[in-house]
Amino acid sequence: MTLQPLSARRYACTVLFWLALWLLVAAAALVLGARVWVWESSAQLGDALRDALYGVATASVVGGALALAGLAFQALLRNPLASPYILGVSGGASLGVILSSLFVSVLLQPIFGFLGALVTVGTVYTIAQRRGRLEPYTLLLSGVILNAFYAALIMLTMSLVKPETRGDIAYWMMGNVSRFDLQWGLVGLVAVLAVGAAVVFAFLAKGFNLIAVGEETAGALGVRVDRVRHVTFVVASLVTGAAVALTGPIGFVGLIVPHLLRMLLGPDHRRLVPASFFFGATFLVLANLATGLLEGAVAPFPPPPVGVLTAMCGGPFFVYLLRTRWRRTAEVQ
Amino acid sequence: MAPNSRSPISGPGQAAAGPYVEVRDLCFAYAGGAPVLRGLSLEVARGRFVGLLGPNGSGKTTLLRILLRLLEPASGEVRIAGIRPADYPAGALARRVAYVPQGTSSVLAFTVLETVLMGRSPHTGALGFEGAGDWHAAREALRLTDTERFAERSLEDLSGGERQRVIIARALAQEPDLILLDEPTAFLDIKHQQAIHRLLVRLRDEKGMTVLCVSHDLNLASAYADDVVLIAGGQVVAAGTPAEVLRTDILETVYETRVRIEFDEASGRPYVLPRPEE
Repeated sequence: MTLQPLSARRYACTVLFWLALWLLVAAAALVLGARVWVWESSAQLGDALRDALYGVATASVVGGALALAGLAFQALLRNPLASPYILGVSGGASLGVILSSLFVSVLLQPIFGFLGALVTVGTVYTIAQRRGRLEPYTLLLSGVILNAFYAALIMLTMSLVKPETRGDIAYWMMGNVSRFDLQWGLVGLVAVLAVGAAVVFAFLAKGFNLIAVGEETAGALGVRVDRVRHVTFVVASLVTGAAVALTGPIGFVGLIVPHLLRMLLGPDHRRLVPASFFFGATFLVLANLATGLLEGAVAPFPPPPVGVLTAMCGGPFFVYLLRTRWRRTAEVQ
Repeated sequence: MAPNSRSPISGPGQAAAGPYVEVRDLCFAYAGGAPVLRGLSLEVARGRFVGLLGPNGSGKTTLLRILLRLLEPASGEVRIAGIRPADYPAGALARRVAYVPQGTSSVLAFTVLETVLMGRSPHTGALGFEGAGDWHAAREALRLTDTERFAERSLEDLSGGERQRVIIARALAQEPDLILLDEPTAFLDIKHQQAIHRLLVRLRDEKGMTVLCVSHDLNLASAYADDVVLIAGGQVVAAGTPAEVLRTDILETVYETRVRIEFDEASGRPYVLPRPEE
């Protein structure tokens, strides 16, 4: 795209552009989501704005977190189709969160989500590794299998609980941003983790580029490949677990966002890390806004959960990637 | 840790005293496998082009990996410019030693320029920003390898010979003193084989680079290398000029097959012919 190296100034431009886009979309979503023009009393307006702000904030932190996790998995697993949802990481986190809320404590949901995610990453990685190489087919298949396995465990759990709880779990599993109970503390936690992940990944981005080319090449160029891998898996699991605890599993954000950005910016992770963070946030705010705007259209039914919307966009997108990019990946490895 | 008067970041001048690469009694085995290196010793002087020869599985690539700190030796010692690879601070080894692996393929479509700039990563800061110096080094590497005109194309769109030149350009962008190559011309035709070897000779002459090139092609090594080292069973069997090493008795023992040696009239270097009648 450009015949210039990445200077600090160009980097700052990239970060500021995607930050500005997010701010713009978030402001628009706040105004549209709260329907600022319909309220007559300032108390009503205040309530509506607070709810809309909660939706924007939640969508932003979860979208940013999932996009970063997807980008990191794609780089480290050297597989453009990897994402937290497809690898079963979100499923593992969901199981952890459900078990925590039923049997342990609602407060420990993010920690159990993190543990579920981390166990899944470790399992998928171990299954797919053969003689020091990751096999792309086995990698995705082990994700498919773990997803099915977690679905069975979640259904088992649901069959054992009261019908009301069953309904709550089923709705939560759809991936929902606008909840009736506002969990500001959890939003703050995910925000801190997502920003932390963005910073950590910004410092690992140079290594992501080299690992994507080859682990031996990366090692010969001074990258501590094992250290980068461990840090990345733990950080990606942390943000995925916390994001799932907040909204339930929201699929395909980690797949769609990095790919759209690669089409625009190229494969350089130094640019993709900040762009994925802010554009992931932007993307989920837009998706959440879309479900809110559907509310009137589908009345008297409730609007669809945002996770349903992203999965409906993500499914076809996955097929597109499979048809256009997969062949090359499979040949390469 | 042995006392070491030289700083790991000392310049080439200070390190020029001893041999540039020193390997002593090196042993290595992969986890759960038979020993690959069994007391291998060799020395490479600065500014030499050395061909590393030997049958499949003799330990050539393993030796390169240990020099690059990708593997830890089980016993014995390796020194590069007098310093053990493990004693170099992070990134410092990569500023001194560059690696051209056997085959390169990426799942991501990096351009040639992006690929060559990756060679600057041991020189850049934590966030990987590139400055004018990095830009200049990448340009110079593209020029030396005659790959400037591909700069904006994707690496995947190039032919095997072009791609290999780009990978060498990435190694040159590191501005190393020592370049390690693992069968750089294995899949190339004779034109590209010669072009790459001529480039390596030029790097030795113009940049004073030390070249250590693993090869299966005895004749290419003989034609271009200053010295050749023959490895078998994880040990050095013979080392010296091509004429000293490429002898019928040595080769027939090591490769367990019959060969005939002729000499090139112009250069006086030996070349190895197979003997199909045996």
